Amino acid sequence: MSLLEVSGLSIRFGSTEVVSGMSFVIARGERFGIIGESGSGKTLTSLAIAGLLPDGAAMDGVITLDGTPLPRREREMAKLRGKRIGMVFQEPMTALNPLMRVRDQVGEAIRLNIEGGATHVEVPKLIEEVGLEPRHRERYPHQLSGGQRQRVMIAIALAGQPDLLIADEPTSALDLITQRKVLDLIAEICARRQMALLFISHDLKAVARLCTRVAVMHRGRLVESGEIGQVFSAPEQDYTQKLVAASRFEVRLQDRPPIGGTLLEVDGVTRDYRQNGFLFMAGRPLRAVDDVRFTIAQGECLALVGPSGCGKTTLAKIIVGLDRATSGSVRLGGVSYHGSDLPKALRRDISLVFQDPFGSFNPRLTIGDSLGEPLRLEPGLSAAELQARLVESVQAVGLHEDMLARYPHEFSGGQRQRLAIARALVTRPKLLVLDEPVSALDVSVRGEVLALLAKLQAEFGLTYLIISHDLDMVAAMADRVLVMEAGKIVEEGKPEQIFAAPQHRLTRDLVAARLPDID
Amino acid sequence: MRRLFSNPSLAIGMIATLIFLAIGVLSLVWTPFPIEQIDISRRFLGITAEHWLGTDNLGRDMASLVMSGTWTSFLVAAIAVVIGMGVGVPLGLTAAAWGGPVEWQVLRLSDFLFAFPAVIVAILITALAGPGASNAIIAIGIFNIPVFARVARGGALSIATLDFVAAGRLAGLGNAMIAWRHLLPNIMSLLIVQGTIQMSLGILSEAGLSYIGLGTQPPATSLGLMLKDAQGLFLIHPWLTLVPGLAIVAIVIALNIAGDGLRDALDPRLRQGNPNVLA
Repeated sequence: MSLLEVSGLSIRFGSTEVVSGMSFVIARGERFGIIGESGSGKTLTSLAIAGLLPDGAAMDGVITLDGTPLPRREREMAKLRGKRIGMVFQEPMTALNPLMRVRDQVGEAIRLNIEGGATHVEVPKLIEEVGLEPRHRERYPHQLSGGQRQRVMIAIALAGQPDLLIADEPTSALDLITQRKVLDLIAEICARRQMALLFISHDLKAVARLCTRVAVMHRGRLVESGEIGQVFSAPEQDYTQKLVAASRFEVRLQDRPPIGGTLLEVDGVTRDYRQNGFLFMAGRPLRAVDDVRFTIAQGECLALVGPSGCGKTTLAKIIVGLDRATSGSVRLGGVSYHGSDLPKALRRDISLVFQDPFGSFNPRLTIGDSLGEPLRLEPGLSAAELQARLVESVQAVGLHEDMLARYPHEFSGGQRQRLAIARALVTRPKLLVLDEPVSALDVSVRGEVLALLAKLQAEFGLTYLIISHDLDMVAAMADRVLVMEAGKIVEEGKPEQIFAAPQHRLTRDLVAARLPDID
Repeated sequence: MRRLFSNPSLAIGMIATLIFLAIGVLSLVWTPFPIEQIDISRRFLGITAEHWLGTDNLGRDMASLVMSGTWTSFLVAAIAVVIGMGVGVPLGLTAAAWGGPVEWQVLRLSDFLFAFPAVIVAILITALAGPGASNAIIAIGIFNIPVFARVARGGALSIATLDFVAAGRLAGLGNAMIAWRHLLPNIMSLLIVQGTIQMSLGILSEAGLSYIGLGTQPPATSLGLMLKDAQGLFLIHPWLTLVPGLAIVAIVIALNIAGDGLRDALDPRLRQGNPNVLA
């Protein structure tokens, strides 16, 4: 007997259909995954099951739980949620009430869903079940880390002892190590409670780790569904094949110019942030980057990995000249600088590609205007030369020159990231700093962007400094890896060597947290 | 453009505002009677075919006075908004783009200006230069400066954290160019909305200043001045108070509705009907 049955589910906003004809079945205790890119309708599908569709959405089709259709009335649906269906959201900070202690939030969920539930007995049990310590009960959400907050969310979802847990991208806001721990926790709880799971993600590996059956969604339609091994190892549909291929990061080794002499040298760079104290008694400074030393050779691809908050982005900002080192210096081509005092003549030699393709273009300027901006660093270019340089860089990233006259909102995330790379290339730099270049992109375009980066490196002899927390991407791209923790570089080596035999504790944790490849 | 008029409150507010503005502009070239024409013999007339809104205690034509007063109100409020924007927006952008001690100074300056309501500034200016419409403009304009400085700084700060501003800095743009190229165009909608709201506040302030005798002086007229002239007669001839009073209320409501509508129409968060935001 199936627990949840969705048949012919369609969701419309006005005249646009965002989900059409979704049908699937989840059995009791089964772990079911939905995979899709952003905008594929996977989140809306889960919201429809929980009866939480936003205003303006019209739903067609039948959803039955244990053979009875879900009530349409909000009052009855509210009773059902919590008792039968638990939900875990993507962003744990906004899903918790910042003014309530953890104990009270979990207790509230119990009081609402279990009649005569004794909160003083149940709360500690739940807190323990999700792997938190008793002292965490008295804390407020801002006093917890992202992973701990997500555990609290899971505890709240479990409070009503639901038959079905819906987890919508529960780990995408977490860093690699925490992500693995939360996934393992969800798997363990589902197994112990015999609870069904509907897991929504864009990450094939996470789904492969957690689920037994999977459905692939694309543009609101169900593309393929079946047993996980079968779908991932022998995908039938083109789209699924593309998705599976894209998750492997097989970046080809093209003929690259040989690695040359030292291009950039980072020498004992330290960055302190003043912390707010009372009047003139400033608090102890926060050291974001601590005496970092390394060199990058001409034509090399160096990767800097580390958990969030380890100082890798601050270091990148100092290198490109957006921030200033408190002490230490960076040397590029024999000229020494400390960050924002990077001489104008050298600025054109270093470019930065930003993480978020949606914030990196001014919405009020045409692409051509935005792309031409760095060319101010090369005074004396005529209008015709300027135009030629723009066309050259747009064509280098595989886009058409007609796009220069358009505005950013007309482009998809992948195209914008290509344009951001074009902007970085327009001054013909020697060093390109890439801050998480693909983490904001959909899985299927990540591979394309990485292949483009590899091709550009071969073509123009570029030097890359890639900042990332994604070990698979680093393994595919980098010649050398630096591992950073709390502002210090703790390990250095070739990717094969580091991932095969990690020395430092953090590196070992990172490698262990890597999800197994799908096969 | 079609998007702008698909919003009903914006359309109603805009049309009403434009009608009042047209009436005011018309008063420059034509009024039924000259407003300074005093004729005691025809005072306190009710609504007649000749005098559409009657006449006041000096026999002046009320319809002509309201038309002319509407123009004064619009003019004073609009110039005051221009003063406030012209000084306040550059100050706010400077604060956001330079930061540090510059920002601190701008904020303290705006705190200082905030401490003086328009009435106090008007009393000060009147004491120095005598009353008049131009003094009301300056007083309300000074009051507008910190408002626009705050709005511009707040909007610019949220834009300044976006990556394209960092990209501009990487391209070697100075603070002034960042403010001009990247910050200002992206806070324009905020400023337009705030401008509409300050317009309606300005009209109220002008009426208030004229009412206490610090604004427009006869023979010119404004809606506030008409209220002042009529207040002693309110119990005998309430009509004389009601006409300018209702005119002020109607103009302010029209401007506020237009301002709210503009905010809805220009706010990018409400604009994109993109269902993908959810997924």
